[in-house]
Amino acid sequence: MLFEFNYNRKQIPQTPFPFGEGLGMGLQNEISMNKLKISILSLALLCVLRVSADDYKASLFGIKSNGTTMNTTAIQKAIDYIHEKGGGTLVFYVGRYLTGHIELKSNVKIKLEEGAILVGSTNIYDYNINGPYSSLVFAYQAENIAITGKGVIDGQGRDVAYNLVDQIHKGIILDEMKNDRPGSRRPRAIYLRECKNVEISGINIRNSADWVQVYDQCQNLKIDGITVDSKAFWNNDGLDIVDCKDVKVLNSFIDATDDAICFKSHDATKLCENVEVRNCVARSSANGIKFGTVTSGGYKNFKIVNNKVYDTFRSAITIATPDGGVIDNILVDSLNAYNTGNPIYLRIGARWNKGRTGSMSNITIQNMYCEVPAGKPDVGYEYEGPIEDLPRNISPSSIVGLKGQDITNVTLKNIHIVYPGNSNPDYAYRGTKPADLDSIPEMAASYPEFSQFKELPAWGFYVRHAKNVKFENITLTAKGKEYRPAIVLDDVKSATFTKMKYEEPGGGKKQVVQYKSSNVTTK
Amino acid sequence: MSKIILFSFLFLFALKLLAKDYRIADFGAKADGVTVNTSTIQKAIDYINENGGGRLIFDAGNWVTGSIYLKSNVTLHLEYGATILGSTNPFDYVKDKKIGWMSMIFAVNQENIGITGKGTINGRGFTTANNMVNYIERGIYIDPLKLDRPNETNRPQNIYFRECKNVKINDITLRDPASWNQTYDQCINLYVDGITVDSKSYWNNDGIDVVDCDGVVIKNSYFDAADDVICFKSHSAEHICQNVVVDNCVGRSSANGLKFGTVSRGGFRNFKVTNLTIFDTFRSAITFAAVDGGEISNIVVDGVRSINTGNVIYLRIGDRWSKGKKPFMKDITISNVYAEVPFGKPDAGYNYEGPVEDLPRNISPASIVGLPDYKIQNVRLKNIEIVYPGAGNPLYAKRGLTSADLDSIPEMRTAYPEFSQFKELPAWGFYIRHAQGITFENVKLIAQKKDYRPAIVMDDVQGATFKGMQYNEPESNGKKQLFYQKSENVITE
Amino acid sequence: MSKIKLTALFLALVLTLNLSAKEYKASLFGVKSEGITLNTKSIQKAIDYISENGGGKLVFYVGRYLTGTIQLKSNVIIELKEGAILVATSSIYDYYSAGGPKALIVADGQENIGVTGKGVIEGNSTSVLGQINAQIQKGYLKETVAKASPALIALNNCTNVTINEFNLFDATGNVQYYSGCKNLLINGVTVKSIDSKDSKGLVLSGCDGVKLSNIYFETSGKELETAGSSKNVSALNCKNVKGEKLQLKN
Repeated sequence: MLFEFNYNRKQIPQTPFPFGEGLGMGLQNEISMNKLKISILSLALLCVLRVSADDYKASLFGIKSNGTTMNTTAIQKAIDYIHEKGGGTLVFYVGRYLTGHIELKSNVKIKLEEGAILVGSTNIYDYNINGPYSSLVFAYQAENIAITGKGVIDGQGRDVAYNLVDQIHKGIILDEMKNDRPGSRRPRAIYLRECKNVEISGINIRNSADWVQVYDQCQNLKIDGITVDSKAFWNNDGLDIVDCKDVKVLNSFIDATDDAICFKSHDATKLCENVEVRNCVARSSANGIKFGTVTSGGYKNFKIVNNKVYDTFRSAITIATPDGGVIDNILVDSLNAYNTGNPIYLRIGARWNKGRTGSMSNITIQNMYCEVPAGKPDVGYEYEGPIEDLPRNISPSSIVGLKGQDITNVTLKNIHIVYPGNSNPDYAYRGTKPADLDSIPEMAASYPEFSQFKELPAWGFYVRHAKNVKFENITLTAKGKEYRPAIVLDDVKSATFTKMKYEEPGGGKKQVVQYKSSNVTTK
Repeated sequence: MSKIILFSFLFLFALKLLAKDYRIADFGAKADGVTVNTSTIQKAIDYINENGGGRLIFDAGNWVTGSIYLKSNVTLHLEYGATILGSTNPFDYVKDKKIGWMSMIFAVNQENIGITGKGTINGRGFTTANNMVNYIERGIYIDPLKLDRPNETNRPQNIYFRECKNVKINDITLRDPASWNQTYDQCINLYVDGITVDSKSYWNNDGIDVVDCDGVVIKNSYFDAADDVICFKSHSAEHICQNVVVDNCVGRSSANGLKFGTVSRGGFRNFKVTNLTIFDTFRSAITFAAVDGGEISNIVVDGVRSINTGNVIYLRIGDRWSKGKKPFMKDITISNVYAEVPFGKPDAGYNYEGPVEDLPRNISPASIVGLPDYKIQNVRLKNIEIVYPGAGNPLYAKRGLTSADLDSIPEMRTAYPEFSQFKELPAWGFYIRHAQGITFENVKLIAQKKDYRPAIVMDDVQGATFKGMQYNEPESNGKKQLFYQKSENVITE
Repeated sequence: MSKIKLTALFLALVLTLNLSAKEYKASLFGVKSEGITLNTKSIQKAIDYISENGGGKLVFYVGRYLTGTIQLKSNVIIELKEGAILVATSSIYDYYSAGGPKALIVADGQENIGVTGKGVIEGNSTSVLGQINAQIQKGYLKETVAKASPALIALNNCTNVTINEFNLFDATGNVQYYSGCKNLLINGVTVKSIDSKDSKGLVLSGCDGVKLSNIYFETSGKELETAGSSKNVSALNCKNVKGEKLQLKN
C-alpha cells in the first residue's frame, strides 16, 4: 500500500432520541423554549434523520432527485455543512440530481448509490467558466475527500459544449474557436487541484464536455473500479493525472474519445511520480496510455502492469516529452493491445521547452502483445480519430529522440506485435538509402504522434537518436508483404538484439537496417 | 394440406387487396432516434403513391425526420410504441412556398390520406424552436424575433394539410410541436377520431386548427395545449369553415377551449358541438370571434362541462382586418352547460401558462359583445349553470352602473378579442352589449361570495327574454341582478 | 485565347477569390462533427448563405461530418482541414443529381467553386452499395446499381473549379465526374476507391481547360475516362497504384 486513508471522522454522539415523533411539529410552536434547548433538540433531530453518524441523505438539504430541479446551491450547502461539522458522507440514492458546478471540501465524501446520477446542467453559465478549473465537481486544497458508490456522474457534455458554441457564435463569449471548437471553458466532470488523500471508486463517469477527470498536483490518489464512458465531445480524455504523487489507478475501464489514461506535467517545478496503473482496460480514438502531451516537469517511477487496450486509433502506449520534461524509470509490463493503430511510441521533442532539455531514460516494456489492423481501429465510435498525415502506409512502433538528445536505456522484452503489412511504395515511399533516411524531418517543435513523420522506412520498429536499446525475445509479424525492412536504426549508439523473430510472407530479406549507428549486436 | 396452403394464400392475397401495407424499415429507415430519415420516408411515400396506395407502417421505435409530404392514397400508420420524432435541426424543415409555414408532415392537394395508429408524433418543438432562436441571433436566419420568439411560420408544426380531400387522423398522439400543432386548411372531409394531443412545449402550441374546411368531424379526442385547444379559423375571405361536428372531446388550454378565430375572414357556418369538457383553462371555454369581416352562423353547442376555467362564454364581433367586409354573428344556441370559474389562476403550474394581463379587474363575466353597427343576433342560452367566485371588490377595480360608467367601456373595434380585453366589466355573470334577440332559459348564476356588481348587465340590446332565471349570491337580498340601459323589449318571465 | 493567357487569367481569378474569401466555420450553421448527425440540410444552408452573401469558404475542421448530397453554389469553396472527413451517409435516398450522375457533392452551372484542404471525402461505399442492392431487390428502387451509385463529386457546366489537396476515398460509383466544365484544376488529390466494382477515378466529358497534377489513383475502374470531347487537358505527375503514369488519350 502506498498510503492509508485517514479520515478525521468526528463522531457525533448518537444519543437516543427520547421524545415522540410529533416533536418536530411541537418545536415550531414552542416559542417560549430557550435557544439552548432548541439547539440540543435540533441536534438530536438531525441525528435521527441521519442513517449513521456521518452519513447525510441528500434530501436533508432539500436536494431533489427529479432530474429537473437545479440542485447546485443545495448540494453546495450540504458539502459546506458537512465540512463545517467535521466531515461525513453526503449520500445520493436512486434518482437524477441536476446540478452545476459544486466544490468539495475537506473530509467530505460524496457517495452515489446505485441508480443515483449526478447530472450536469446543460447551461454553460452554471459552471465556473472564468477560471482554469471549469468543472462539475471541483476541489481545491481539500484533504480526505472521496467520490464513491455505484452511481453515475453524467456531464451531458455534448449539450453543454453546443450551448457554449452557441454563446460564442452569438458573440456573448469570446473564443477564437480553434479547430471550430471552444478552446477553454468546457467543464470537466471532475477537477481536483492540490488535494490530499483522495479516493474515487466504483462510480461511472460519462459524457464530459472536455477532459473527463483531472487530478492536478494531488497526493495520495486512489482510483479504483471506475468506469469512464465519454465520447460526448472533442478532447474527452478518460483520465488525466497531472503532476501528482503517490497514485494508484486500479481495476478501471475507460472508453474515451481522446487519450484514455493520460499523465501530464503542467508545472516545470513539479513531477508526476510514484504511479501505479494496474488491471485497467482502455479504449480511445487517440492513445490508450499516454505520457504527455504537456510535459513541463516530467514523470518518474511508474509501474503500468497488466492492462489492456483495444479499438484504439493511435498508440497503445505513447511516452512523450516534447516540452523539456524528464522521464525516468518507467515500467510497462503485460500490456495487451488489440485492434490498435500503433503499439509503442517514445518521443523526445522540443516544443515549449523554455530553456529546459527533455530527457527519457530507463524505459522497460515487457510482456506485450499487440495487433495492428489494416483498417481504422476506431471505426463507428463517435468522434473517431482524425485521418491525417497521409499518404503513409501502416506506421511502425517508433523510438525517436532528437539529434544530441538520445532516448537512453530502453529495454523491450518478450513482445509480439502483429502488423498487417502490405505497404505500397507507389502510394507512399521511404527507402533506406542515406538520402531517404535523412529526409525524415526532425520535427522537434511538432505535436508528437506516431504518424507525424508520415511514411517511415520500417514496418516494425523505427529507432532514431537513441542509446543503449535492448530488444530481447521480440517477434514481429507482417501479415502481408512489405517493401520495408522490419527495423531501421538511425543514429543509435549501442543496440542489442536477442532472440529476434521476423515473420513476413516471402521472407528472406534483411530485416534490420542500421544507419549512422554503432555497437549494434545481434545474439 | 395443399388445400390449406391454397386457402391461406388466397386469404393473404385478399388482405393485401384490402390495404397494401409497407414497412418503413424496408426502405432503409432506422428507428434509432438519431438517423434523420427524411429522404427515406419521402421515398416510401412516393413509392406507395405511385404504386396504387396503401399504408406505410412505422413499427415501434424512434423514427427521426424533417419535413415530408404525404401523397394521395397513402396512410402513415404508427404502431403502438412507434414515434415519429421531429428533427431538432430547424434546417431539416421546409417552409412550404404555397402555405408559407414550416411543418413536419405536409400534404398539399392530395386525397385519401391519413395518419392512424396508436403511435406518437413528437415534434420536439422546444428544442427546435430554441435552436431556431439561436440561428436567428447568430444572423443565419432572418426573423424579427417579435416577443423574443421566432414567428409562428418559422417554426415547424407537426402536421399541415392544405386543400386535401378525405383526410383521416385516427388514434395517434401528437406532442410537442414548435408552433401550432396540426392545421387542416381548405380541406374537404376531415375525420379526426380518438387522438390525444399534448401540445405545450413552446409558444403558440395550439391543439388543432381547422381552417376554412368543409365537412369536419372531430370526436373522442383529448387535447392539452398551451394555446387554443380546438380552434377553427378562416384565413381566406373567399372560404368558410362549415358543416362541422365536434363530439365527445376534452380540452385543456392556457388560452381558449373551443375557439372560432382569431383570424375570421370568411367565417364559420353550421357547427354542432356536443359533449365538450374543458378544464384548467386560462381563458374562455368557448370563444366565438368574428373580427375580420367573416360570418358566424347556425352554431349549436350542446352539453358542456367547463371546470376550473377562467371564463365560460365569449361572443364577439370586432372590426380588425375586415377590409370592407361586414362581419355578422347570428343563430347561436348554447345549452346544457355546467361551469365553474375559479378565483385563482386556472392554468397555474402548466408549461407556458397564459399571460396575466388586462389588470386591474375583478373576475370577468361571460360576455356577448358586438359593435354598434354590427350586432350579435339571436343567441339562445338554455339550461346553464355557472358558478363564479364572486368577491368583486370595487376598491380594486370598479365599473359602476351609471350611464357614464357603462359608456366608458371602450368599443375596441380593432383590438384582439379576448374575454378580458375591456378590463373591469360591470356584471359578474353576463355582460351583453350591441345585441339583438337574446334568450336566457333556465339559467342559474351563482356567486360564491358577495360581489359589488349585478349578475347581468345589458347595454344596447334589442329584444331579450329571461325565463326561469336563478341568481344565487350571498348577502344579496333585494339586490337587483339584472340591469340594462339603452335596451328595449326586455322580457322577464 | 492561348493556353498561357488562360492559365494566367485562371490563376488571377483563383488568387482573387482566395484573397477576398470570407471564412465561415461549419459550426456557425450547426454542423456537427461527431459522425452521427446527418448534416445535409445544415451544410446546404451554409452553402446557400455564403453564396447569397458574397461568397467565401466553408471550413470544416477535424471531425467526421455525415451528409447526403450537397449542392455547391457560385463563389463557395469547401475547405476540409486535415482531419476533417465528409462522410457519405448510408441512406441512399439522401443522394440526388444535378445535371450529372448522383453524387455527394454536386453543382450545376456554378462558377468559382471548389473543394480544398488536406481532409477526406469518404464515400462509405460498402454500406451504400449494400443499401442500393437491398432496395433494388425489394423492388422499391427502380434504377440500375450504376445509376443509383453516387459519385463523390459530380459537377456539370461549372466554370473555374479548384479541386485541391485532399483525399477521395471509397466512392460507390465513380469518384469524380466533370461534364461541360471550364477551367478545371485538380491538384494533389489522392483517389482510393477499390471497394465497389469499376469505380473510375475521374470521368471527363466535354470539358475545356483541365489541369491535372499530382494525383494518385488506386481505383477498381479506370483512372481516367474521357467521354465526349474534352479540350486542353494536361496531366503532370499523376500515377496509379502500380506506379504507372497517367496516359492522356487523344
